[in-house]
Amino acid sequence: MIQTIDSGKCVGCGLCAAKCPLDVLRVRAGKAVIAYPDDCMTCYICERSCPQGAIFVHPFKEAAPPVLPGILEFLSTRDGRPS
Amino acid sequence: MDWKQVPETVLRTDVLIIGGGAAGMWAAKRLKENDPGLDVLMVDKGPESWGGLMRLAGGDFAAVLPGESVDDWVKDVVYYWDGLCEQDVMEDIFSQSYDRLLDYKNLGCEFLEDENGNLRGVPQRGLDHCRLYPAKLKGTGGQNMAEAMVKEMVRLGVRRMSRTLVTDLVKDGDRVIGAVGFHSITGEYYIFQARAVIVACGNASWKPGYNSNTSTGEWVDMCFQAGVELRNFETLTVMNAPKLFFWEGQAIYLALGGRFVNALGEPFMDKYSPVLGANTDNNYITRAMAIEIRNGRGPIYLDLSQIKPEDMVFVKPQTGNQMMNYEKLLAEGIDFFHDKNIEFIPQVQLTLGGAATAPDGGTGVEGLYVCGRSRSLDYVYMGGFGLSSTAITGYITGNAVADYLRTASAGREVSVGEAAGLKEKLYSPMGDAGLTPKQVLIKVQNLMSHYDVCLLKSAESLTAALGELDRLRTEELPRMYAADPHYLLKYKEVEGIFLLTELYLRASLLRQESRGSHYRLDYPKRNDKDFLGWIVQRQGADGSVVQRVKPVPLARYKHPVDRFYSDNFTF
Repeated sequence: MIQTIDSGKCVGCGLCAAKCPLDVLRVRAGKAVIAYPDDCMTCYICERSCPQGAIFVHPFKEAAPPVLPGILEFLSTRDGRPS
Repeated sequence: MDWKQVPETVLRTDVLIIGGGAAGMWAAKRLKENDPGLDVLMVDKGPESWGGLMRLAGGDFAAVLPGESVDDWVKDVVYYWDGLCEQDVMEDIFSQSYDRLLDYKNLGCEFLEDENGNLRGVPQRGLDHCRLYPAKLKGTGGQNMAEAMVKEMVRLGVRRMSRTLVTDLVKDGDRVIGAVGFHSITGEYYIFQARAVIVACGNASWKPGYNSNTSTGEWVDMCFQAGVELRNFETLTVMNAPKLFFWEGQAIYLALGGRFVNALGEPFMDKYSPVLGANTDNNYITRAMAIEIRNGRGPIYLDLSQIKPEDMVFVKPQTGNQMMNYEKLLAEGIDFFHDKNIEFIPQVQLTLGGAATAPDGGTGVEGLYVCGRSRSLDYVYMGGFGLSSTAITGYITGNAVADYLRTASAGREVSVGEAAGLKEKLYSPMGDAGLTPKQVLIKVQNLMSHYDVCLLKSAESLTAALGELDRLRTEELPRMYAADPHYLLKYKEVEGIFLLTELYLRASLLRQESRGSHYRLDYPKRNDKDFLGWIVQRQGADGSVVQRVKPVPLARYKHPVDRFYSDNFTF
């Protein structure tokens, strides 16, 4: 997931915002900002396109949905829900 | 801001292409090459000139080389797909595969070759003939292809729009006449007047991350509402994914000696398939993973120690985002190729369902065509078939639409009233309170990820999942809102994922047998008498899903259906 944009290094060229497949980044007041962090898919396109080396994307993704338990067990144990 | 008052623009074109990835670009290329006078407008919800998910692909390409037999390849997939293969269509597709590989080469894309200039192919999934041909540099093959095709779009004068989501098709009777959509940054409303429309939006995914988060369910919803027949929605790609990070290319590792092991160190696929062992399709592996984990033998790890040193050229990333990922993980203390404790889990990625079309991509709706991964061909995914099927079917459909337009009469335009009604509906979720699209998405993703929903299905678990989906649809979906046009795009995606999930669950319930990646605990055997056919789904008169089994026309086909890939497994 995208983690930081170093505003000291960012020159506001907008390449990252223009290239992000998911529109996570925007340029505001002359600097790139992480406008929609939840939408990052960790593709590194922004970090690779930044001429200033201002962007850091962490290689870990958001928590994957659990495979266990099965849905029958999940529904039967969920608070306040009928099984 | 009153979103009903957003500016709107009318755009007129001969052909509207929805989706600017590989298939859309191939269709556009052939349209312009057939008739340079045609106006072609390609609209993509992603950034300008990115070329779709092809950009993130490794670059593997499936092709039948000169001197090889197309029939052998067709027989391989008839077997691999447990009989659900349109044999005549696949014969045509495979027979064009080497030409498209050469096209890519002529556009400057390089493939891995030996010292004599022969392509170096990798057999896969234990198949006798089907091979994939990797790009020269592992890591940027797809990126190079995307950039080459974008250059073609510029050279040929294809008009392109980015960050724009097409949300609804507009029809006059049984003929498509245009579409509407919006810009996901400015919010501007667009009315497209088109003589023909091509849908080329990729596979529909549940937004699992990394390379599949852009193509989701909204195009499925759009086609469903337009009356397009859909098929194969009971079959998914459930990938063996590292738990903490993204990685791709496992298929090639398995072909070269890589294998998954359980917590006891056992290469468990040997038990489920003594014939194929580890080198098989990921859907069978994730099914086995789920059984191992459920029975207390998890977690699951990938063991690469059996790969020969000389084969590491196929395995290690050399450039691009894959290389960056590898290096970043090293910096975190994770060495993908040497660590023994990297946990893998089954992860629901995308459906192999899509439009059921004529051989040229035509749908039952006049002027509406579907190509690329949005057109459902394969019942189980084969490595390299993404890049090859998008190029081939995009090429075929581009030709077909150019032909169609030579004789098509002029249709009427989208009316002011139609456009205004769709506009009001489109912007109705705009607001400032409720549930975000992401909050709702996570609940649907969680619903799909239960092992007894995505892998080890039963009437009981699927019915429970359908009930839970209905509850989310009744209780949560109405509370979902979009704070701005960016979120309106996400809203439409999640809305589409609801339909995608419903199609999956209903088709899975109907198929009371096991075939390909579809596995029913309560019907663990194949039943060719009732189910050697495709499950086709379409919207009924009341808006609900209507479905049936459409038998494989064996009498018309060249090859008998008497070998089944799933017979290699016992679960």
